[in-house]
Amino acid sequence: MPLSGAQWSPTPDRVGVTDIITAGGGRTVGAPPSVRRLNWAWLGLVPFFAFLSLFLVVPAVSVFSGALKDNDGQFSFDSMRAAFTGQNLDAFWFSVRFSAGSALVGVVIGTLLAYAAATATRPRWLRNLVTSFSGVAANMGGLPLAFAFLTLLGKQGVLTKVLKEAGWDLYGGTFGLGEVPGLIVVYSYFQIPLMVLITLPAIDGLKQSWREACANLGGTTWTYWRRVGLPVLAPSLLGGFLLLFANSFSAYATARILTQKSSIVPLRIAFYLGGDVNAGEDAVGFALAAWMIIIMVVCMSIYWVARRRAERWRS
Amino acid sequence: MTDHIVHVLPELEGPPTAPTVTSPRPVGKPRTRFARLVPNTVIIVCGLFFMLPLLTLARFSLQNVPTILLGSSTLFKKWSLSGLTKAFSAPGFGEALTLSLQLAAGTVVLTLGLLLPTAIWVHMRLPRARSLIEFLTVLPYMIPAIALVAGIFVIKPHARWFLNSDFSLVPFYVVLALPFTYRSLDAGLRAIDLRTLVDASRSLGAGWLTTLRTVIVPNLRTSIISASFLTAAVVIGEFTIADTLLKETLPRFQATYVGREPQAGYGLNLLALLLTVGLFVALSVLTKKRDRKGASFALRMKKSMKSGLETTP
Repeated sequence: MPLSGAQWSPTPDRVGVTDIITAGGGRTVGAPPSVRRLNWAWLGLVPFFAFLSLFLVVPAVSVFSGALKDNDGQFSFDSMRAAFTGQNLDAFWFSVRFSAGSALVGVVIGTLLAYAAATATRPRWLRNLVTSFSGVAANMGGLPLAFAFLTLLGKQGVLTKVLKEAGWDLYGGTFGLGEVPGLIVVYSYFQIPLMVLITLPAIDGLKQSWREACANLGGTTWTYWRRVGLPVLAPSLLGGFLLLFANSFSAYATARILTQKSSIVPLRIAFYLGGDVNAGEDAVGFALAAWMIIIMVVCMSIYWVARRRAERWRS
Repeated sequence: MTDHIVHVLPELEGPPTAPTVTSPRPVGKPRTRFARLVPNTVIIVCGLFFMLPLLTLARFSLQNVPTILLGSSTLFKKWSLSGLTKAFSAPGFGEALTLSLQLAAGTVVLTLGLLLPTAIWVHMRLPRARSLIEFLTVLPYMIPAIALVAGIFVIKPHARWFLNSDFSLVPFYVVLALPFTYRSLDAGLRAIDLRTLVDASRSLGAGWLTTLRTVIVPNLRTSIISASFLTAAVVIGEFTIADTLLKETLPRFQATYVGREPQAGYGLNLLALLLTVGLFVALSVLTKKRDRKGASFALRMKKSMKSGLETTP
């Protein structure tokens, strides 16, 4: 017989006579010591909580306290509003456009690549190669990536030159690695692999029997995808989109190398922090950071909910 | 890398998923020659997209020919490895590398010193706190590095004595790496039967420190090494905080050096990239090895005991 007392007693040494006595009849006998013990156990987490408060919670809360003050230190929403005017609004709009673009590209191509890898039978190592490479490339953002794309698609880039020889002047129009299409191309380098990692388990969850059932009922491949495949994948795709959006919205290093202007939100925050602004204006930088945290929290929360839903089909 | 790492290391949680054996072919339809056309095209195009930037970065690092002059006649000229090593003797490189390595070491030590006892404590004494701790460790996803640094600027006037030191970066790097490191240690603890190991060790008369040193740590070796590698990879590539707080770490040197010495700068970035890739590859090899070996001895014992109990009437 399992000692049912264990369900409220966290430590093995507590599974003893009192537990058996109280197991059926309630907690009154064992409860007081268990409460006391629990409190002591929580004390063991004090270093961790203290550390996290000091170096994560305090800075995060400070962002808001810095953003919600006016010049005289009074509570005010002015900076939060100012974060959505003029060049700041442009930065938000720019960030949203290229983040949504790169998230969309990442979701579509990442899902196709994951599907291609999951269903490929021929070279057996292909699937492993794709997953291992994705694990690496999803973390490959930052400086080296920006420089690698400068050598490929920069003004002096190799591909730029090859395309020019072929008659397509890449830089004839408004193209630039720091503009929306350019950033989408560069960010795809880590967004696509990230999506592969997110979506591969969901694609593995698509069961062959569903396809057979669909075919038996007279459905075509198109019917299968429209009625079964995509609806099952939908939470993963939505969650993936939000995660990718958040990922690209908050990335700093890559864009820092590729654009000289502070045209995106993270660079704009850094511009305000840099201190070349009028007194009192630094609160606008904190307000931008506060909005960024709000956007992140919204995206990540929906991502967790979507992920939970996606897991429903896995067994 | 990595002011943006968010990815969830799936291979760290539990055993790897079995390779799919499903065929993409719908039942009742003959496989056409073009059935794999779209997937194969996707794979080839993606392969090209992922290889090309690395190849051109390597070309700029190893070949000293301006792109303007690049053509069939100059394609194989002036290749040398000097572009990779030149940065080592550049002024400022040694200091930047030393600082980054010190920061990495400090971050690894603080991470392990803080998280290992916490994770063990949670598994031993407070399983009910597990989801709370898990939630807290993914908080850094919601507060990206650039927002964290904004917060640091708000408190800066009160903490100048601390933030003036280069090593004030260490705790913030611990926070940035937290989602990976905790997950790695937690997965390791889940894979062993911690309580039985500890009880056995304690009943043989070992104290807590001896238990930690001779029983728990050896059983968590793979997890500890992965956590350390991940931390090192995060620290060595971190640019956002170092850049805004003006700390001269390796990534900041990488960023400015390209402007002064393009070829050597690209070479240095290529090396940094290879180092990161190397760390991640080593990591996945390690994790695979652990998965192949299967669960620890203690867990296997527990399983066999359980199945033994179930078969007895």
